[in-house]
Amino acid sequence: MATKSETRLPYDLGRGGAGFFLLVLGLLVLVALGVVAYARQWAEGDVVTGLRDLGTMGGAPWGLYVAFVVHFVGVSFVGYTVAALIGLFNLDHLRPIARMALALTVVSLALGALSVLADLGQPLRGIVNLFLYARPQSPLFGTFSTVLVGYMVASLVFLYLDGRRDAALLARAPSRLRGFYRLWAAGYRDTPEEQDRHRRTTFWLILAVIPILVVAISTEGFVFGLQSGAAGWGGALQAPGFVVMAGVSGMGHLIVVAFTARKLLGLQDRITLRQFSWLGNVLLVLVAAYLYFIVVEVLTGIYQAHHHEARVTRALLVGDYAWLFWLTVGMLVVSFLLLLIQFLRRRYSLWPIVLSGALVSLAGIGKRYLIVVPSQTHGRLLPYLTGFYSPTWVEYSVVVGLLALGALALVLFFRVFPIMEVATREQRR
Amino acid sequence: MPRYGMVIDLSRCYGCRACMVACKVENNTPGAHFWMYVFRIEEGEYPNTQVSFLPRPCMHCDNAPGVKVCPVGARYKREDGLVATDWDRCIGCRYCEVACPYGVNYFNWKKPEKNQYLDWDTPAAQVLGRVTNGAVPPYDNPDLDQPMKDKRRTAGGGQRKGVIEKCTFCVQRVEKGLQPACVANCPAFALHFGDLDDSNSQVSKLLAENPSFRLEEEYNTRPRVYYIGAPPPSAHPRQIEAVKARE
Repeated sequence: MATKSETRLPYDLGRGGAGFFLLVLGLLVLVALGVVAYARQWAEGDVVTGLRDLGTMGGAPWGLYVAFVVHFVGVSFVGYTVAALIGLFNLDHLRPIARMALALTVVSLALGALSVLADLGQPLRGIVNLFLYARPQSPLFGTFSTVLVGYMVASLVFLYLDGRRDAALLARAPSRLRGFYRLWAAGYRDTPEEQDRHRRTTFWLILAVIPILVVAISTEGFVFGLQSGAAGWGGALQAPGFVVMAGVSGMGHLIVVAFTARKLLGLQDRITLRQFSWLGNVLLVLVAAYLYFIVVEVLTGIYQAHHHEARVTRALLVGDYAWLFWLTVGMLVVSFLLLLIQFLRRRYSLWPIVLSGALVSLAGIGKRYLIVVPSQTHGRLLPYLTGFYSPTWVEYSVVVGLLALGALALVLFFRVFPIMEVATREQRR
Repeated sequence: MPRYGMVIDLSRCYGCRACMVACKVENNTPGAHFWMYVFRIEEGEYPNTQVSFLPRPCMHCDNAPGVKVCPVGARYKREDGLVATDWDRCIGCRYCEVACPYGVNYFNWKKPEKNQYLDWDTPAAQVLGRVTNGAVPPYDNPDLDQPMKDKRRTAGGGQRKGVIEKCTFCVQRVEKGLQPACVANCPAFALHFGDLDDSNSQVSKLLAENPSFRLEEEYNTRPRVYYIGAPPPSAHPRQIEAVKARE
C-alpha cells in the first residue's frame, strides 16, 4: 500500500487500475490457452499438430513453430538497430523509443527460444544436449548459440546498462519500487565520470553486437539457404533476405508497440510524429529492398530454375500458396506506397505509418511461412506425391499463447520500469 | 574395416514390395513409416507409357546432409559407412529430415506403441494371444534395444516418442554378419548388400560388370546405394499406387 510520503512515479509506474488488470487478465487467459495446448502436445506427442513426415507421408515436418522462430528472431533486430542509430549517429530524438525497442528485442528473443522448444520432439533433451553434444558445424547450433545465448545476453546487458541511470534517479525518491531501483542502479550515482564510462561502454557494446546480430540472422537464413534437400531453399539470397526481412518486421513491430504505448500511457508529448516519421522512412527503405528481393527471387524461380525449383515457384504464384503469397506481397506493396507517398509529399500523419507497421508485421509472418512450408510440400526431389500442411488448433493456440506472453512481459516490465528515459534531454544537459 | 553399400538391380525388381514388409517386421517400425519404400513409377505420355519400380532405402551417403546439419551429433556416420541415428541423443528437431533429398526419415509423432500397424489391445489380437500361448505381438526383438558395437543404441524403429528414425541397413543383422532384411527377403534377388572395398564381394562385381547410377548425385551427397539394370528415372516421373498412410 502506498503511503502519502511516497512519490508519484512517472509513466504510471507501480500503479494498477481496472483497465490494466483487465489487460493482464486477458493476456493471462491467452497464455493459459497456449499452456493447455502445449500440455496436450507434450502428453500426446507432435501428432496433435498438423506436421508430418516428408516423402511417403506427404507432410511438412517444419511448420508454424519454425516460421515463428524465424519471425521472433527477426523482430529482435530492432533493438540494436535503434540503439545503433542513437549511439553511433547521435540521433537523440529517437531516444524515447529506444528502450521499448530494446525490450522488444529481449522479449522476442525469449519467444524465439520458446518457439524452438515448442517445436522439438524432445524439448528437455534439447536443452541439455544442445550444450552437451553441440556441433558448431550445424547451422541450427549457430542459430542457438549466437542468437539465443550471445545475442540475448548482450541485449540483456545493454538493457540493464541503458536503464541504470533511470534506476538511480528513481531510487532517490521514496516509492514502493525503491528497492528494485536501488538493485538495478547497483551503486550508480550519475556522476559525470560514470556517465562517460557508460557512454563508452554502450558505444563499444553496440559496435560488438551489430556483427553478432547480422551473423545471427544470417545463420538463420543458412538453416535454409545451405540446404540441397528441398527445392526453393538453397541460394545466396537467403541470408541477406533474412536480414532485410528482420529489419522490416522489427521496425513494423516497433511502430505498433510505440503507438500502443503512446495511447495507453498518454505519451503524446514524448512520442511524437517526428519519431514515427523517422521510423516510417527507415521502414520505407527496408520494404523497398525486400520487395526487390522478392522480384529477384521470383524471376530466378521462373526463368532459370531447375524443374524442382520451378514447381515451388508455381505453387507460390498460382498454386496452393498463391493466396498467401499475394496477400503478403500485397501488404508489403500497400505499406510501401503509403510510406512513399508521405515521403514524397513531405507531409506525415500517424495512421498511414501505424497501418504500414501493422501490415508489414503481418507480412513478415506470412513470408516466413512461405519460406518454411512450400519447399517441403512441393519441393521434393524424388517423385513423391505433392504434400500438404495445415496447422491445427494446438499450433495456433501455442503461437497465440507465446504472443500473449510477450505482450504480458512488456506490459508488466513497463509497469515497474520507465518505458523511456525519465530525464529529458534538457534535464540531462 | 568394410565399407558397406547396396546395389539394386532394377531389371529384376517387379515392385512386389516384399522388402517393405520384411523391413517393417524386422525393425518393428510404426505404422505409416516405410524405411524401405518402393516407388511404382509411370513415365512417358499416353499411349507410350512405361511402368518401372524404384526401391528406396536410406542412401547412407558418404556426404550425408542429415549428418552435417544435426546439431547434437545424434545422426552420424559409422566407420563401416552406415549412417546411424542415436535415438538416445536425438532432440527431435527434424533438421536431418528436411535436409535429406531422399525423404527417408520418419519422426515418431506419437508414442510408438500407439502407432503399430495393428492395435494389439483389440479382441482379435487377444485371440491371437490365446493361439500363440500368451505371446501377443508385436514381437519384441531384443536386438533392437541393445547398443551396437560403437556402444550407441541405433537399431530398430518405434523406440521413443519425439525422435527421428530411418533405415539402418539393419545394423543389428549386419553386425552379426547377416544381410539386411530387405536383401534377405527379396524374392527376385534384386537387392544386394556387401563390402564395396572388397573387390571379390558380389556388390563390387556387379558394379564392375554393369553401368550404374545413384540418385540425386548432382547434390554431392555421394550415396552408397547404386542402381544397375536400367537407366535413371526421367526428369518427370509420376508415382502411381503411392502409399498414402499419414499416421
